Amino acid sequence: MPNLNINGRNMSVEAANDTPLLWVIREQLQMTGTKFGCGAGLCGACTVHLNGEAVRSCQTSLADAVGKKITTIEGLSAKGEHPLQKAWVAEQVPQCGYCQSGQIMQAAALLSKNTNPTKEEVVAHMDGNLCRCMTYSRIQKAIMRAASDMRTASATGSERRAT
Amino acid sequence: MNKHVKNLTPETTDLSRRSFMVGTAATGLVLGYAGSGIDQVLAAPAPANFEPSVWYAIAPDGLVTVTCGKADMGQHVASTMAQIVAEELGANWKDMRVQLASNDPKFNDPVLGAQITGGSWSTMMNFDAMSRAGAAGRIALTEAAAASMGVPAGELVVRDSKISHPKSKKSMSFAEVVKSGKATKTFTADDLKAIKLKSPDQYTMIGVSVPQLDIPLKVNGTAKYGIDVMLPGMVYGALVTPPVRYGATVKSVDDAAAKKVPGFIKAVTLDDKTTTTTGWVVAVANTYANAKKAAAALKIDYDGGPNAKLSSESLLTEAKRLQGLSDSGQFFVKDGDPNAAFGTAAKVLEAEYTTNINIHAPMEPMNATAEFKGDILHIYSGNQFATRSGAIAAGAAGIDPKFVVMHQMWLGGGFGRRLDADMMVPAVQAAKAVGKPVKVIYTRENDMTMDFSRPLTYQKVKAGVDGDGKLVALSHDVVSAWPTQRWGIPDFLSPSVDKKGPLDAFTVNGSDFFYTVPNHYVRAIKNEMAHNATPSGQLRSVAPGWTFWAVESMVDEIAHATGKDPALLRVELLDGKGKNDGGAQRLRNTLLAAMGLAGYGTKKLPKGEGMGVACVSSQERATASWTACVAHVAVAPSGEVTVKKLTVATDVGTQVNPDGIRAQVEGAALWGMSLALFEKATLKDGGIEQTNFDSYTPLRMSQLPEVAVNVIANGEKATGVGEPAVTVVAPAIGNAVFNAVGARVRGLPITAEAVKAAMKA
Repeated sequence: MPNLNINGRNMSVEAANDTPLLWVIREQLQMTGTKFGCGAGLCGACTVHLNGEAVRSCQTSLADAVGKKITTIEGLSAKGEHPLQKAWVAEQVPQCGYCQSGQIMQAAALLSKNTNPTKEEVVAHMDGNLCRCMTYSRIQKAIMRAASDMRTASATGSERRAT
Repeated sequence: MNKHVKNLTPETTDLSRRSFMVGTAATGLVLGYAGSGIDQVLAAPAPANFEPSVWYAIAPDGLVTVTCGKADMGQHVASTMAQIVAEELGANWKDMRVQLASNDPKFNDPVLGAQITGGSWSTMMNFDAMSRAGAAGRIALTEAAAASMGVPAGELVVRDSKISHPKSKKSMSFAEVVKSGKATKTFTADDLKAIKLKSPDQYTMIGVSVPQLDIPLKVNGTAKYGIDVMLPGMVYGALVTPPVRYGATVKSVDDAAAKKVPGFIKAVTLDDKTTTTTGWVVAVANTYANAKKAAAALKIDYDGGPNAKLSSESLLTEAKRLQGLSDSGQFFVKDGDPNAAFGTAAKVLEAEYTTNINIHAPMEPMNATAEFKGDILHIYSGNQFATRSGAIAAGAAGIDPKFVVMHQMWLGGGFGRRLDADMMVPAVQAAKAVGKPVKVIYTRENDMTMDFSRPLTYQKVKAGVDGDGKLVALSHDVVSAWPTQRWGIPDFLSPSVDKKGPLDAFTVNGSDFFYTVPNHYVRAIKNEMAHNATPSGQLRSVAPGWTFWAVESMVDEIAHATGKDPALLRVELLDGKGKNDGGAQRLRNTLLAAMGLAGYGTKKLPKGEGMGVACVSSQERATASWTACVAHVAVAPSGEVTVKKLTVATDVGTQVNPDGIRAQVEGAALWGMSLALFEKATLKDGGIEQTNFDSYTPLRMSQLPEVAVNVIANGEKATGVGEPAVTVVAPAIGNAVFNAVGARVRGLPITAEAVKAAMKA
C-alpha cells in the first residue's frame, strides 16, 4: 500500500499506481480543497506542491507522488494564514472561489522563490490558471500585496536577528 | 414585459405548483419533512433561538444566521442578503453568518414565488423582504429589551448588536435579549408591510464594503461545493455521453471489458422520462477513477437520432430561411409601421448579425449526489433552480416531487448553467440502480459537449433614416433556440403583441430598448432545428448578450451613414419621450459618465487605435441596470484586436456592497470581452466539437485589459449587477474596431480573420 507524505503527515492509501493524485487526495484522504476542473492540465484548479513545485495533480500519478512532499491548500499554513491567504481576503479576491485553491498554490510556488516579482513574471507564472469569474486583476493585486508583506516580514525578521 | 416581473403579489407562489412538466412540485414538501430524519439544516432551530422570520435566526450567543434562498455562485448574494438584514436589524457585521436554504418552499423568492437565481434579480427582488425581516427582528428585540429594562421602547437605540437606553445608560446585547426569552413578538404579513423602513440617509450598512462572509472559506479550501459532498457508503458515477448533443439513443451496452475494472459495480443506461438527456450511460464504481476507467471500457452502440447530421452551418441556414418567411415568429414590439416608413425614408440600412454557440464552462464541472433514505430522495448539488431541479430529480426517480430534498451547496460557478437539472438524472437513476448513494461527476468533456449552451443566433436589422438624419424606423428579427420555453413553465413566457401565442422573451429582451424610434418592430422567431439539436440555456446575460450586439452595432452603422458621432447619436436617441421617460435619461447620463471617464473624443489616438461606445438597458426593461461602455482597442494589420481598456459605467440605483458590485461588474465586463473575442463553440455531425479548455478558450490573465468601473448610485431602487455589463462590451469592442480601422464585423466572436477581411472590403 503506497505511503504519501502530505502536509507533513505520512498517510497510507489504497489505489492503483496510475490513479491521478487528485482523486487520491480528494476521495481517499477527503481533502477536498484541491479541485477538479479539466482533467487535462489546462486550468490549474487542481494545483498542489510536489517538493515545493506547483504541479497539476490531475496529471500526476500516485506513483509519481510517492516519496515526495505533497502540500495542498489545507497544508499551506497551519491556520490558513499564509501571506497569500491573508492577501486574498484583504483584496476580496474570490467570487465563486472554485479555482482559488489552485491559484493560491500556484502563486505560493512563485513567491517561495521570488518575493519581488514583476507584473510580467506574475502573469507568466499564473497564465495557466483559469478563473471563469475573471478575478484576475484582484489575483494580481493580492500576489503583489503578499509579496510585499513577505518582504516586510523578512526585513523585520533580519533586523530582529541583527539586534 | 414578462409575467414573472409584473406579478409582484404573493399569488405568484402558485408558480411552482401549476406549471411543472414533471408534476406538481414543492408545496407539499412539509409532509416530506415530518419525522423523516432530515438533516440539521432543515430541522427546527433549537428553541432558545429567536427566529423572527424564516430568513434568519439569532442564537443565544448573539450570532445571527441568515438563510439565503438564492444560489451563491460567486456573486456573494448570501452575504448581500445578510447585509440588508443587518442594516435594519442593527446587528454588528462580525455577528453575521450565512447558510444556504433547502428547497422548502418557505424559502421561495418573495417576488418570484420559486427558488430560482438568475436575471440579476436577487438584490432587487429581495431588498424589501430582507429589510422588513431585519426591521421586525429589531422591533421585537427592542420591545423585549424595554420590558427587561423597564424603560419605554421608544427611548432605545439599536446599534452594533446592542440595545441601549442613553438616559439611564442601561444596555443589553442581542445575546442577552435572546437569552431572556422575552423576544417573542410575531408579525403577520400586514404587520411587516406596515413597518416603516429606514430612509437611505439613515443607512449605516447599506453602501459599505463589508467583507464578504463566504470569502474566508474560499481561501483555505473549506468551502463545500457539490463536488465535495461525501456520504457514508457513497460510490461514484462517470458518464458516457453520446457523440450527438441531443436525440441519440443507446442501442446496446457491452460491459464485458468494464467488468474487469476493479471496483466496477454497474453500467446504468438512463431512462429519462423528463427528456432532459438522451442516450446517457453511467458507469458506477467504488472510486471516481475506477468509474472513469469503466466508462472508457464500455462499448456502446448508438442510434444517432434525427440531429446526427446537423452542424452550425445548418442551424444558421435554417435561421435565415425562417427569417425570410413573412409569417415566422411572433411580435415582441410592434410600434408604428416600419415597413411603410422604409418606403419614405431617405436612407435604409440593412445588416445581419450573428453569434455562435457559447459554453458556460463553470470551473466546477456539473455534478450531483443522490441518496434514497426512507421515503426521501436527498440531492446534494449546487443549483440555481431548486424548485424545478427537485421536480426533475423526482421525475427521474419516478416519485412525487414533495419527497425530494435539495441540499444547496456553494456553486463553483453558475452563469446560468446550474439553472438546468440534467446532472440530477444520472445521479438519481444510478443511486436507484445500485441501492447506494451515488455522486456523479461530469468530466470536462461531458460538461462542454452536453452544455445547455447560449444558442447560435441570427438577427436581421433594417433601419430607416429620414432626410434630417433622424432614425424613423427599425425592424429587428431575432432567430434563435428558445431556452426558457424548454422549461415548460408558462409564467416564464410572455404574450406576443400580435396575439400569436406566448414567446420566449429571454431571446429578445433588450431589443425593446429606450431609444425613441417611432416605427419599431421586433419579431421573435424560434429556430426549431436549433432548439432540438442544441437544447439551449440561459448564459450569463441571456438575450441582451445578443440583442444589444445587433442594436448597438446598427446604431453605430447609422451614425457612420449619417455622419454623426456615434455617442452623440445615442444621446440624441435617448430623448426620454413617451414610454422611455425616466429610463432613457438614466441611460443617457450613464453613457455620458462613461464617456467622461474614458476621455472619449478628447484626444487623437495613434493609428490603428480606436474607441467605441455602447449603452444598454440590460437585463429587461423592468429590471434594467443602466450600463455604458467605452472600449479602447488597437488593431494590428493582421486584424488581431487588443483591448487596451474597458471603461464601464453602471447606474444601479442603490449599492449594497460597493466593492462586491465592482467585482461583479468587472467580471461581467471581462465575460463580455471573452465572448466577444475568445469563445466559440461549433456543432458538427450533431455534436459540440469543443471538449476542453484547449479548444474552448475563455480569457486568461495575459489577455486582461485595464478595466475602469464607475458605479452610479443615485438613490433609486437597487438593481442587479451580475449580468448587464456582459452585454455592453461586445458591441463597444466591435464599434471600436470600426473606429480604429474602418472594419465592420457583424459576427461574434470577432476574429482576426474577420477583421482583416472587413479591412480589405
